Amino acid sequence: MTTVPAAGASTPGQPVQAAPARHSRDRRSSPIPTIGMIATRIMELRRRRGLMIAVVIVNIGLPALFLLIRLLLHAFAPRTNPPAGGQLIFLVLAAGFLPTFGFITAIMVGCTAGSRDLTEGMFRHLVVTGRSRLALYLARIPAGLAIVVPLLAIGYTIVCAVSVLAAPTFIDDSNVNIPPGLSRAGFENWAASHAEPVICSLPYNGHIPGNAACAGPPRWSKSAITPAQPAPANLEALAVKIASQDYRGYISTLRRPPISLMIKAGLWIELQVTVEFVLGLGLASLMGQRTGPVILLIVLQFILTPILSALVIPHLQDLQRSVVGLAMAHLEPSGLPVASALPGVTGGVGGPGAAQSLPESATQAVCVIIAWLAGWTILGAWRTMTRDA
Amino acid sequence: MLPPHRESRWAVETHGLTKRFGANTAVNGVELLVPRGSAFGYLGPNGAGKTTLIRLLLGLTRADAGTMSLLGYPVPRHRDAALARTGAIVDEPRFHGHLTGRQNLRLLAAAREPAARDRVGPVLERAGLAHRADDRVSTYSMGMRQRLGIAACLLGDPQLLILDEPMNGLDPAGIAEIRGMILSLVAEGRTVMLSSHLLDEVERTCDAVAIVDRGSIIRQGPISELLAGMPVALVVECSEPGRARALLAGTALGASIQATPTALGLEITLPGGTGRHVIAEISRILAAGEISVYRLQPVKTSLESWFLQVTSRLEDPE
Repeated sequence: MTTVPAAGASTPGQPVQAAPARHSRDRRSSPIPTIGMIATRIMELRRRRGLMIAVVIVNIGLPALFLLIRLLLHAFAPRTNPPAGGQLIFLVLAAGFLPTFGFITAIMVGCTAGSRDLTEGMFRHLVVTGRSRLALYLARIPAGLAIVVPLLAIGYTIVCAVSVLAAPTFIDDSNVNIPPGLSRAGFENWAASHAEPVICSLPYNGHIPGNAACAGPPRWSKSAITPAQPAPANLEALAVKIASQDYRGYISTLRRPPISLMIKAGLWIELQVTVEFVLGLGLASLMGQRTGPVILLIVLQFILTPILSALVIPHLQDLQRSVVGLAMAHLEPSGLPVASALPGVTGGVGGPGAAQSLPESATQAVCVIIAWLAGWTILGAWRTMTRDA
Repeated sequence: MLPPHRESRWAVETHGLTKRFGANTAVNGVELLVPRGSAFGYLGPNGAGKTTLIRLLLGLTRADAGTMSLLGYPVPRHRDAALARTGAIVDEPRFHGHLTGRQNLRLLAAAREPAARDRVGPVLERAGLAHRADDRVSTYSMGMRQRLGIAACLLGDPQLLILDEPMNGLDPAGIAEIRGMILSLVAEGRTVMLSSHLLDEVERTCDAVAIVDRGSIIRQGPISELLAGMPVALVVECSEPGRARALLAGTALGASIQATPTALGLEITLPGGTGRHVIAEISRILAAGEISVYRLQPVKTSLESWFLQVTSRLEDPE
């Protein structure tokens, strides 16, 4: 051990002077955290190797791996494996996988940020600096979000890119080359000009007249441009009817996800992980531990919220509406609930049908979310300010 | 902007400070005065309330009654100003194990004034941790964590350091280094308040002490003054201990001293405040009685024996 004086320290023999001028920039009683505090909080979280690996794997690794496998399978066996992208895949990942697993990683990061200073004995050192305890708490919010939000954004961007760039352009199964991205009118016009393959290949819940017999194998293939087949007016009308009936299926399988939906869904998912991070942070700060809050929030989101959303309790509907998961489900972009109805897709934290059973305006939902954010932030900050260190 | 500093001759000042945990009063009306620029020992048996008092001073827990000030700033009213120039270790120093020593200090420096960031390297150097600064704290020994705790204390260029058992877990060389560091900090004009069980170390390091027992301060002041009234033992190695004892008992000194036979001679207990002339008189009496004296050594009461005498725990095994 040496006796090198600390930088800025007094030299031996000279009394240390009180409150020097350099402390004039010191606003440590301010509740606003400094950039340096936030930056070091980010560093503290980023250096948690296990947590970071889990967050990266869940938010980026698993969706990327899933899409990579689909890309490779389609590349090597295009006839037996559908394209990797498209709206259907987008909905599965954006409405099911990313919100569900993004939720888990967000509460893990939030609960870690809210409890680890305390459990690892660092909180005491931080309090002894004289820095406002409120600032110590608030510094954790941007720091945690600076990790959770970008990582999810990267994963989501990969999903969007593959969904758009590798969207299917035809139906392989029936060898009908239907162009992607058609509106309802466009799809019906295309059907009118391709009446015979439409009548013979697309599903139809109705009567097909005898003069539309589909003999022999279809002459079309995905590599050939389907020629427009002249057809009688009644067959054209039938094809238009079939197209009208199948349009919903067409948009869910052939269309690439619209940009507006991708933007809305991305913002909705990011809002969801932000809310979950803040909840985790507040609850963990309140309880002073990590495991308990993680379990409680998982129970709330995956057990209580679906139960509360499925039931309509006559005198407790306002209470039911005040559940944050339900409010989030109400804010889900209109294009996403399609995925909610898909088998095996939960469709956001509210669960399938959550928004339908308990009607709630967007304003009410926003108010509920703001109340949850503010409430848990206040509780977490209050406990941080009052707890014995 | 910090409030204007109030000049005070006391680095730490408490009046009637009280902290209760249910029915248990951990700190009971403590009146503590720690002079500036001194090394001050805060001593007491386990459970006496030493750490609780330190936690109160640092705002880690709230007092139930009483007033306190650090460096002249009333706490908790001007806690931020007081702690801006205070460094402290409380209990066992614990840090984020997944971060390096340097990263932990950067985290703490960010919560202090901007200049603290520039002190990270020098304080690691001063604490003797420069060579392990970039290793994870989870790989540190207890002694290294103590050093890191001291480095963390120095980040704010403190006027006052409050160290709770800073020598725990250190080997003898480490203890000597910490002792040297504390002395050098005091030489720089800083105040060091030291809580420790190692009474010998406190006696070597500190100028003044306070003894706390069951939450109350039972003695405080400069060590020299506190020990001044204590009896002095005089070790006498001589040829005829029995006759020497009888000779002394027959003189005027016999009423004021107590001689106890030992294997090699006598141990004579002199009352507190006894002058050197009494020792000279004993020497003369033994020489006049033709008793060969091989050794005549006064042994002052140590802080440890004084501590054991004044703490009520010695009398009450509870």
